[in-house]
Amino acid sequence: MVFDTLVAEFPFLLRGLWIGVQLLAALLALGFVLGLTLAVMSVYGHWTLRLFTVVFERIFRGIPEIVLLLLFFYGIGELLPLSPFLAAVLALGLRSTAYQAQIFRGSIQSVAGGEVMAARALGMSRLGAIWHIVLPQALRRSIGPWTNEYSAELKATSLAYVIGVVELTRQASYIVSNLQGNTLTVFAVVAAMYFVVNRLGNAGLYALERKLAVPGFEGRGASS
Amino acid sequence: MNMNKNKLCRTLLLSSLLLGGTFTLSHAQDEPLVAGIEAAFPPWAYAQGGEYKGIAVDAMRAIAENQGLEVEFRDMPWPSLIPALANERIDLLVTGLNVTRERNEVLDFTIPWWENDDEVLVNADSELNVVTALCCGATIGAQGGSTQHSWIQANLVENEDIDVTLRSYEDYVTAIEDMGVGRIDSVVVSTDTAEDFISKGRDVRIAGTITQGQPQALAVSRGDPNGILGTLNRGIMELYESGKWQEIVHSYAPYATIRQIPATMPDYVRTYQEPIAGLGEE
Repeated sequence: MVFDTLVAEFPFLLRGLWIGVQLLAALLALGFVLGLTLAVMSVYGHWTLRLFTVVFERIFRGIPEIVLLLLFFYGIGELLPLSPFLAAVLALGLRSTAYQAQIFRGSIQSVAGGEVMAARALGMSRLGAIWHIVLPQALRRSIGPWTNEYSAELKATSLAYVIGVVELTRQASYIVSNLQGNTLTVFAVVAAMYFVVNRLGNAGLYALERKLAVPGFEGRGASS
Repeated sequence: MNMNKNKLCRTLLLSSLLLGGTFTLSHAQDEPLVAGIEAAFPPWAYAQGGEYKGIAVDAMRAIAENQGLEVEFRDMPWPSLIPALANERIDLLVTGLNVTRERNEVLDFTIPWWENDDEVLVNADSELNVVTALCCGATIGAQGGSTQHSWIQANLVENEDIDVTLRSYEDYVTAIEDMGVGRIDSVVVSTDTAEDFISKGRDVRIAGTITQGQPQALAVSRGDPNGILGTLNRGIMELYESGKWQEIVHSYAPYATIRQIPATMPDYVRTYQEPIAGLGEE
C-alpha cells in the first residue's frame, strides 16, 4: 500500500523537488550577485562600505534560516505583501549573500596584490583591473568552496514549507498524512531525492571547476 | 583560450542576474481570497494526486460557488495558519478549526459547522481500558497546542490524584507511531481523526470517548477586513439546508454523525453575539 501510494504520488514529489530547485536557483543567484558585490566592497571599498558589509554579514549569518523565513513572510510581509516563494527567496537569498560574500572575499584576497598594481601601471582603471584581472581568477578559485554553499542551501530549501512554499518536504508530508503513517519509508525516498540532486550539482560544479582551471595552476588534483 | 574562460565567467554572472529577475516577476500577488488550509489533516483537508481534497476544501468550494466568491487555497503547516490569519497574510482559514477562547482573541469565527468529541486510542492488542489508559502511571500522547493537549494538562496532569505523563507531538501520525513501538500507552485525538486512522488500517482501537462537544468553524482575520463573515455564514447555512453538506461529509467520512448547523455556539465568542452576521435577516 505504501509503495502503490508512493508510485502514484511520485510525480508530485518531483513537482515539489522542482519548486525546491527553482527556489535554490533563485536564492543562489541573488546571493551570487549581491555576495560578489559585497565582497568587492569589503576588499576595495571606502571604510563606510566595509562597515556596511561587516554589519550585513554579521546579521545574516547570525540568525537561523527558519527565523529569517518567518521574519520575511510575517514581518516584512506586513509592509510589503510578498508571496511565500518570494519571501523565501529573499530570506534565504540574503542569508546566502552573507556566506557567499565571505567565499568571494577570501578568493579575491588570494589574488596577489601585485597584479592590480601591474595592471594600474599599464594604465588600466581600478575597476577595470578588478573586473579583468582579479575577478576572473577569484571566481575560478571560489568554485570549490561554493559547492559547499550549494549543498547547504539545497537543504535549506526544505525549510520553506513553514511559510507555505509547497516544496519536496511538504509534498512528502502530504503522503504521510494520507497514509496516516509510514513516515520512515516516505522520508527515506525524499532523502534519496535530495541526495541525488546534491550529488549531481556537486559533480557539475567540480566539472566546471576543472574546465575553468587556469592551466598549470594548482587545483583540486585533477587539473594540470 | 584564457579570454574564452573569462567570457564564460561573465556569461555565468549575467545569466544568474537574468534568472534572478525572472523568478521575481513570475510570483506576484493574486486577486482572489486566499483560504489557508493544512493539507496534511485528513479528512478535513489533504492533498492527493496534486489536488486539494477533503471535507473543508469541498465545502469551501461549494460555498464559494453559491456565494459568488473567488477563493484559492494555500497550504501551510498547522502552527503557521493562525499567525498567518491574525497577520492578514491569508484571508480565511478553512480546516477542522476548534473554537476556543484564545483563538477568539485573534480571529473572528463563522458559525460552527461541526462538533467533535475526543477518542482515547490504544494499540489494538493492548489490554488497557478507558480508565487505565488515562491513569495509574500511563503515558499519554497528544498534539502540542491542540485542545486535547490542554484538556489532558488541565484535567489529568494537574490533578495530583491521577498519575499520568503527557507527551506532546508535532502531529498525530508521529504520536500513533510512537505508541506502536511502545513509548506511550495511549493517544487522545478528535473523533474524526481517530476514525481516519482506523479506516486507514493503523493497528489501533478506541478504548473510550471523552464527550467534549467541541465546536469547529471557519475563521477570518479579526474585525473581518474583507467583509466576508456574513457571506460565509449564509453559505454554510445554504450548504447545510440544501443537503450538499451531508453529501460532502459522507463522501469522506461515511459513518460520521452530522450535527445540526449551527452547532453549539459558546457565548464567549464575539461573533456569536446577536445579531449574527449573515443570519436571521429573512
